[in-house]
Amino acid sequence: METGFGEDRRAKLLRERVQDRWGSAYAPVKHLDPLLVVLALLLTGVGLIAIYSAKLTALTAQGLSPTLYISTQLIALVIGLVAMVVASLIDYRHLRSYVAVFYGAAIVLLILTLTPLGTEINGSQRWILFGPLQLQPSEIAKIAVLIALAAVFHEAKGEPGLGHVGIGLVLTLLPMGLVFLQPDLGTSIVFVWLAATLFLLGGVQARYLVSLIVAGFVGVIVALQTEVIQAYQLSRLTSFLGASDPALAQGGAFHTRQSLIAIGSGQFSGKGLFEGTQTALSYVPENHTDFVFTVIGEEFGFIGTSLTLALFLLLVWRGLRIAVMAKELFGTLLAGGIVSMLALQVFINVGMTIGIMPVTGLPLPFISYGGTSLIVWFAMIGLLLNVHMRRF
Amino acid sequence: MTEQPRRRRFSRVARILSRTGDQVAVRRIRWLLGIYGLLIVVVFAQLISIQVVDADDYADRSVRQRERTITLPAVRGRIYDRDGDVLATSVDGATVYADPRAYRPTETPDGTPVPAAAAAADVAAALAPILGRDVADLTERLEQDAHFVYLGRQLDWSVGEEVEALDLPGVAVLAEPKRTYPGSALAAQVVGFTGIDGDGLQGLEAQYDGVLRGKPGTLLLERAPGGLDISTGIRELRPSQVGTDLVLTLDRDVQHAAEVAAASAVAEFDANAATVVVLEVATGDVLAMASSPGYDPNARIQDDQDAWRNRAITDVFEPGSTQKALTIAAAIEEGIVTAETDVEVPGHIRVASSTFRELSPTGEPTLTVGDIMERSSNVGTIRIAQELGDQRLDHYLRAFGYGSPTGSGFPGEASGMLMPPEDWWPTSLPTIAIGHGVAVTLLQLAGSYATLANDGRSVAPRVVLGTVGDDGRLKPVAARSGEQIVSPSTAHQVQGLLERAVTGDRGTGSLAAVPGYMVAGKTGTARKPATDGSGYSDQYVATFAGFAPVHDPQIVVAVMVDEPNPFYGGIVAAPVFSEVMEAALIARRVAPDGSATTLPAAMDHARAQALEVAEAAQASLDENPPPSGPGGASGDPETDEQGD
Repeated sequence: METGFGEDRRAKLLRERVQDRWGSAYAPVKHLDPLLVVLALLLTGVGLIAIYSAKLTALTAQGLSPTLYISTQLIALVIGLVAMVVASLIDYRHLRSYVAVFYGAAIVLLILTLTPLGTEINGSQRWILFGPLQLQPSEIAKIAVLIALAAVFHEAKGEPGLGHVGIGLVLTLLPMGLVFLQPDLGTSIVFVWLAATLFLLGGVQARYLVSLIVAGFVGVIVALQTEVIQAYQLSRLTSFLGASDPALAQGGAFHTRQSLIAIGSGQFSGKGLFEGTQTALSYVPENHTDFVFTVIGEEFGFIGTSLTLALFLLLVWRGLRIAVMAKELFGTLLAGGIVSMLALQVFINVGMTIGIMPVTGLPLPFISYGGTSLIVWFAMIGLLLNVHMRRF
Repeated sequence: MTEQPRRRRFSRVARILSRTGDQVAVRRIRWLLGIYGLLIVVVFAQLISIQVVDADDYADRSVRQRERTITLPAVRGRIYDRDGDVLATSVDGATVYADPRAYRPTETPDGTPVPAAAAAADVAAALAPILGRDVADLTERLEQDAHFVYLGRQLDWSVGEEVEALDLPGVAVLAEPKRTYPGSALAAQVVGFTGIDGDGLQGLEAQYDGVLRGKPGTLLLERAPGGLDISTGIRELRPSQVGTDLVLTLDRDVQHAAEVAAASAVAEFDANAATVVVLEVATGDVLAMASSPGYDPNARIQDDQDAWRNRAITDVFEPGSTQKALTIAAAIEEGIVTAETDVEVPGHIRVASSTFRELSPTGEPTLTVGDIMERSSNVGTIRIAQELGDQRLDHYLRAFGYGSPTGSGFPGEASGMLMPPEDWWPTSLPTIAIGHGVAVTLLQLAGSYATLANDGRSVAPRVVLGTVGDDGRLKPVAARSGEQIVSPSTAHQVQGLLERAVTGDRGTGSLAAVPGYMVAGKTGTARKPATDGSGYSDQYVATFAGFAPVHDPQIVVAVMVDEPNPFYGGIVAAPVFSEVMEAALIARRVAPDGSATTLPAAMDHARAQALEVAEAAQASLDENPPPSGPGGASGDPETDEQGD
C-alpha cells in the first residue's frame, strides 16, 4: 500500500513527539523531592536560631557581635546548598567509577589531621586549617566510606560472599581507626553503625552479621582491657548513668546534669525565645555545638523538642522512601546509609543531652554549629535527591 | 511481590515496601524501621519524663542554681517615751567574719591546687588585740571546716575600721544593725530587748516584734557557673522597709523617779524587790512601770534573768488592806453604809472556826466607816462585807479588774487570782474582804484605784500611745472606753475616806503625804504564801496605792515592796509613794492644791507623828502575828487574817 510523500516522516515525527513527551516525563529534573530540601532548610533555620540564642549573652558580654557564629553558619549554608546541587547533578551511578579517588582522598585527609597540619581543639585533633576555613575530614570520610561500601555491595548484587564482607570490613576499619586516633569516639561509632547498616542492606547473611556483632563486642572488651580506650573516655561513657546524682555532679556527669536541668526547666512550652537562662549563662557547655539541643529544649520546651524531632522523622521517612524506590541496589544502599547515619547521629546527640546516651562529641545534623558538618549534610541531601530523581 | 493485604493499610512506607519487596535490601529496610521505632520510643519517653513529668523539679533546680538572694536587713523601729525621748534604737555595728577556706590549701573544680592565703594563727594573732579576744580561741574558729565564721558581731564601728585597715586575707567586715538602749536600765523591763539577730525576746520588743522589725528586703542576683554575679543578669531589688516606731505612754522623768524610789526602797529596807506603777487617771496611760532590781539591756548577762521580769504585770500578791477601799466602795454603792455610818466593832470576830482580830483595838464600841478606813480596821471591814455577801463582793472585785488581765496587752500578764464565789469557804468572805486569799498584779491594783479616782468609771491601763510609720505621723492606739463601776458619789465618798487614811491623826498612810498636794491612799501589808503552797511564810509584802490631787485626781501610784524589813506598808511603801507621786505631779505639771497642813514646814511634824503611828502598828503586828493557816493559792483561806 502506497503512502503519500512524507507520510512515514510525519508518523516518525509524531512518534518522536510522543516519545519526547514520555521521555521528558522521566527527566530527572521533574522528579525532585522538594519536601526533602524544605525539611533540611527548616532544620538549618532552627539551628541558626538556637545558635544565635545560645551565644547571644556570652557574645554581648564580650562586646562581640551576637551574629558572629550564625554569619559563619550562613556562609556554610550557602556552600552547602551549592554542594547539594553539585551532588545531585552528576548521575550518582558515575560515583562508582570515582569511588577509589574519593576514598583515597578521604584517607589522606584523615592522615593529615594526625600530622602537625592538623589542629587540636579541646584535646582532640580533628581539623585541618585551609586559610580561614577549618575542614573536618572525618565528616568527608563518612561520605567516602558510604560510597565505597555501597559500591562493594552493589557489585555483590545482593548476595555478598566472604570476600565482600572482608573488603567492607577493611574499608570501614581503616578510616574508623584513623578517626579513633584523633580521638573522636563518636564519629568512630558512626562508621561502625554505617557499616552495619550497609552490611545489613547489602544482603550479608545473618550468620555473618551475628558473628561480626559478637566479634565487635569481643573487640571492645579487648580494647578496654588493653586500655586502647582511655579511662577518661570510659568514665565519660558511663558517667551519664549517674547524672541525677548530685554527688557526682562535679565529675563527668556535670555536662549531662546541666543539660538535663536546661531541657527539663523548659517544661512543656519553654521559657520563650532568648529567655533561656541555663544555656545563655553557659551552665551548659558547648551549647552551640554538641549541646545545641538544650537551647531548643529550654526555650521552646517539649513542644519545641517534639517538633524538631518530628522534622527529623519526616526526613528519615523521605530518605527511606527514596531508598525503597531507588532504581538499583547502589541507590538503595546510598540512601539507606545516609538515613541510617542521620538517625544514629540524631539519636546519639539528643540521647546525650537527655541523659540516655554517653557524652560523645557528635554534632546534631543541620542544627549544631559547624560548617563542615552542615555542608556535608547538604551534600548528602543532594545525593538523596540524585538517587530519587534518577529512579526510572 | 505482594505482602498481606492487611499490612498495606498501616503506612505508606509499608505500601511502598510491598511494591518492591522482592529485593533483599528493601526487605531488610524493615529491620531498620524496627530499630528506629525503638529509638524513637526511648527518646520520647525520656523527653516526656524530663520535660513534662519532672519538669517542675528541673525548673526548681535551674532557679536554685542560677539565682542568689541576698537578704537586706530592715532597720528596726525605735521605741520612744511619750515625749519622744528614745528608749530603744538601732545603730550600725561592725560585724567581723572570715572564710576559713582562705587558711588551708584547696583546689579549683578543675583540680588546680590553690595554696592557703595565710596561716590561721597569724590572722588570729593580728585580730586578737583589736577584737579583744583570745588568740587560741580565734585560731580555733578560723580553722573550722566552714565557709563562714563570725569573729565578732555588732562591735563598735571603729573596731570594724581597724580590722578593714589590716586587709587580712579571708577576713571581712559588714555593717549589722545593733540594738541599743540609750537609757540603759531605764524602763528596761517594759521595753525588753532583742537577741543578737534582732528578734524581740522580752517585753515590748517581743510583743511588738512584728511591728518593730520591718520587712527585710532582698536583692536577687543571677549567677554564672562558679558563683560569680553576672553584671548583665537580672537584678531585682526589693528594698527593706524600715520598722514602725513605737511611742509609749511612759514618761521618762516619772519612770526615772519611780526606778530611783524603788531601788532606794530595796536598799533601805533590805527588800527582795520593789515595783511601782504610775497611771494617768483620765487616760489609763502608764506613766511609769518600774521594777527593782533592774538590769542594763545593753550589757545583759544570763544571771540577770530574775531582773528581766516586768514584775508589775507578772507577779501577783495579796493586796491586803489596800483592798478595803474596794470592799467599802461596794458597800456604799449598794447602799449598805455611808461614810458616816456607825459600825459596831468588837475586838475580834468569829466566823466559822476562825477568829479575826482587830490589830490595834481602839477600845471604842463603834467606829464610823471613815474611822474604819483611817485605822484600817479588819473587824469593821469584815462586818460591812458580811452585809454585802459573797456574790456582791465577788461582783465588785471583778468589776474593779480582779481575776482578769488589765488588757494593757503585755505578754505574760497575769490574771491574778479570785476564786468564783461557788468555791468559797465560809471564811472566804471575811478573808477576801480585807485583801487576803485573793491575788492581784500591781497593775491591777493601780487600775482599781484609778477607777475610784476616775469617779467610778473604770480605766483601762495602756502602755503604747501609738505607732509612727513611714509618713512620720503618730497613729494613736485607740483608747478603750471604761464602764461605770460605782457611781460618782460613791467614788467621791471613798476618795474622802482614802484621804483620811493619809491625813487623819490615826491614818496608817501618813508617810504618803506630798508637800503642796492633797493625796489619798491606803497602805497594805500581807504575808506571802509559802512557796510550797502549804500556807503562809513569815515574809511580808508591803503595799501602798493612792492618788492625787484628791479633789481632781490625775495620777495614781501603786507601790509594792517584796519582803522588806521592817515589813509594815505604812513605813516601807508609803514613802516610796510620796516620792514618786511628787515627781509625777511635777512632771505632769499638776497644779498644787495643798493646804497649810501639807506645806513643807508642816510636813516634817506630820511625818514624825505619822512615823509614831506607823511604828506602833508595826509593833502591834510584831507582838500579835496574824494566825497562819492553810490558804493562799491552795484554796482554804481559813484563818489567815493579817492587816494593819
